[in-house]
Amino acid sequence: MEKTGVLSAKEAFEKLEKVGEGTYGKVYRAREKATGKIVALKKTRLHEDEEGVPPTTLREVSILRMLSRDPHVVRLMDVKQGQNKEGKTVLYLVFEYMDTDLKKFIRSFRQSGETIPPHIIKVILSICPSIFNIRFFFVHLFLSIWLQSLMYQLCKGVAFCHGHGILHRDLKPHNLLMDRKTMMLKIADLGLARAFTVPIKKYTHEILTLWYRAPEVLLGATHYSMAVDMWSVGCIFAELVTKQALFPGDSELQQLLHIFRLLGTPNEDVWPGVSKLMNWHEYPQWNPQSLSTAVPSLDELGLDLLSQMLKYEPSKRISAKKAMEHVYFDDLDKRHL
Amino acid sequence: MEFDLENPFENLHSDAVSYLFLIESDHTPSQNHSQTLKARDLDISVRRELISLISQLSCALDPVLSYLAINYLDRFLANQGILQPKPWVLRLIAVSCISLAVKMMRTEYPFTDVQALLNQSDGGIIFETQTIQRMEALILGALQWRMRSITPFSFVAFFIALMGLKDLPMGQVLKNRASEIIFKSQREIRLWGFKPSIIAASALLCASHELFPFQYPSFLKAISDSSYVNKESVEQCYKVIQDIAIEEEYSSALNGVSSSDTPINVLDHHFLSSESQKTNGITVANTIAVSSPLRDLKRRKITGCGCGGNNPTIHNSRIQFSHAKESEK
Repeated sequence: MEKTGVLSAKEAFEKLEKVGEGTYGKVYRAREKATGKIVALKKTRLHEDEEGVPPTTLREVSILRMLSRDPHVVRLMDVKQGQNKEGKTVLYLVFEYMDTDLKKFIRSFRQSGETIPPHIIKVILSICPSIFNIRFFFVHLFLSIWLQSLMYQLCKGVAFCHGHGILHRDLKPHNLLMDRKTMMLKIADLGLARAFTVPIKKYTHEILTLWYRAPEVLLGATHYSMAVDMWSVGCIFAELVTKQALFPGDSELQQLLHIFRLLGTPNEDVWPGVSKLMNWHEYPQWNPQSLSTAVPSLDELGLDLLSQMLKYEPSKRISAKKAMEHVYFDDLDKRHL
Repeated sequence: MEFDLENPFENLHSDAVSYLFLIESDHTPSQNHSQTLKARDLDISVRRELISLISQLSCALDPVLSYLAINYLDRFLANQGILQPKPWVLRLIAVSCISLAVKMMRTEYPFTDVQALLNQSDGGIIFETQTIQRMEALILGALQWRMRSITPFSFVAFFIALMGLKDLPMGQVLKNRASEIIFKSQREIRLWGFKPSIIAASALLCASHELFPFQYPSFLKAISDSSYVNKESVEQCYKVIQDIAIEEEYSSALNGVSSSDTPINVLDHHFLSSESQKTNGITVANTIAVSSPLRDLKRRKITGCGCGGNNPTIHNSRIQFSHAKESEK
């Protein structure tokens, strides 16, 4: 066999800088030499044995290749297989480059100080606009305008994945890439959790970031549904408003307690079957608090949507598609989304 | 995530079908490559040899698996021809395509079992694991890691629903026959230029014409009206597929062997049995009895085709057949 016109990853790309170290390997900003195009290169060691490319890697990477045409999923443009210095097989995933992610975006607003509710801004603006510091004012106005758009795009991207039977399982601000100029949001790291984990690990408990993890996962449910992603969407929604994590637990138990303090400790009435889940124990009994205590500046429609994303019972949680139809998004101009 | 030829995604929602039509070209040999391949006679014979190899090596496995392996082969050939058709290279390609198909479709198969199966050989060639892995990497690169192939099987359920037969026994019968036709037609080089969705539509129309001729016109209309389907492509593809289905029936009749369990064969069997009782041991009578209904079926099929005129090849074949019979008399 003769290889013609096939460049190895090292020959085809010039690494410009390392921009991250993900769970599955290093991420570089790179330039494709042939076209000058800027891409994100994810370099991953393959966990080979006598089988060569693991079946799970093959299946999950193939999914990403199939999803490459949706505007709200980060596009996997190419896959290159190579070898590192020790002769081990390395996979380079070539993704479209996005200049920031939602985590950085939120952090940039956190430094602007306290939040002023959008409806108050509107009232004050109509009365005496000159009183306020212009920069401070427009930062918050900017965020309140884009909140709906970002949330709509997130729901749309998740709806696309779920419509094709694909769960993400690790939705978090860091995995939601953004283009600062166009304010487009895209879902990243789809399927990578399963594609590149050593199979013997219990990935369900060790990979998914705690803060955005659904209660049924924390309680050891063995059958997941798309609802686990919608819980994550709800947590991200709240964080976009307050710029703080909604449930910042530092252990699985603490994560559960954070949730129970706000939403009330679940019981068989609000969540049939909860006491039979594997990790269920006796917990302190809290009564549910109003969501407005945690997200005070979100309006009534937003609070309603958020409450439907944070239903305890997975089957009662709103779907991504239904979320897109919620009245909270009615006044959003969706033509370019 | 498991992979299934009927559902390249794990669950096929109604929303997903339009996306399948959108991306199917990324997962099949393209029309341009088909033209290129046809210009290379060497590659056509090599393809035939490779398909035989794959079928032979994977005959102990699920037939769907060898279908997927052949799909990988075709896409590999479309991307880059084979410059050195040495026997060991061909065998390595066949083994690697099967290995990749096994990885995509099975978690239950112990890999070592599959490996042993692939390495049993009449040719005495046994490949090192690393050699297979290098070939796999080459194939993966050529296919751009798009291993969840979109095949005609991905579209059958959609078209059956379009024909109004979803969840009906009639739909299941049609699906079974269409699947049979899709399996057999994979070897046919003339289908290379057609999209999987077009092949699926044509196979279903062929099956419906064969099994449910009275409903055929309404099925044809339902499929032709679909905005996802190019009517001219279906007409062209239908002709090729009908040729394949007819050739299949000829070989069945000539060999006296039923290769498919369809109502037509059931009728033949009944007629033959009935005739045998009346004319014990008379060979000539049996021969005449068998040929008569087949001749009628062929005639009806040709004149009843809603997608175009008569096929001259079939017409000539029929004349020759009749002529031979008359000579015997």
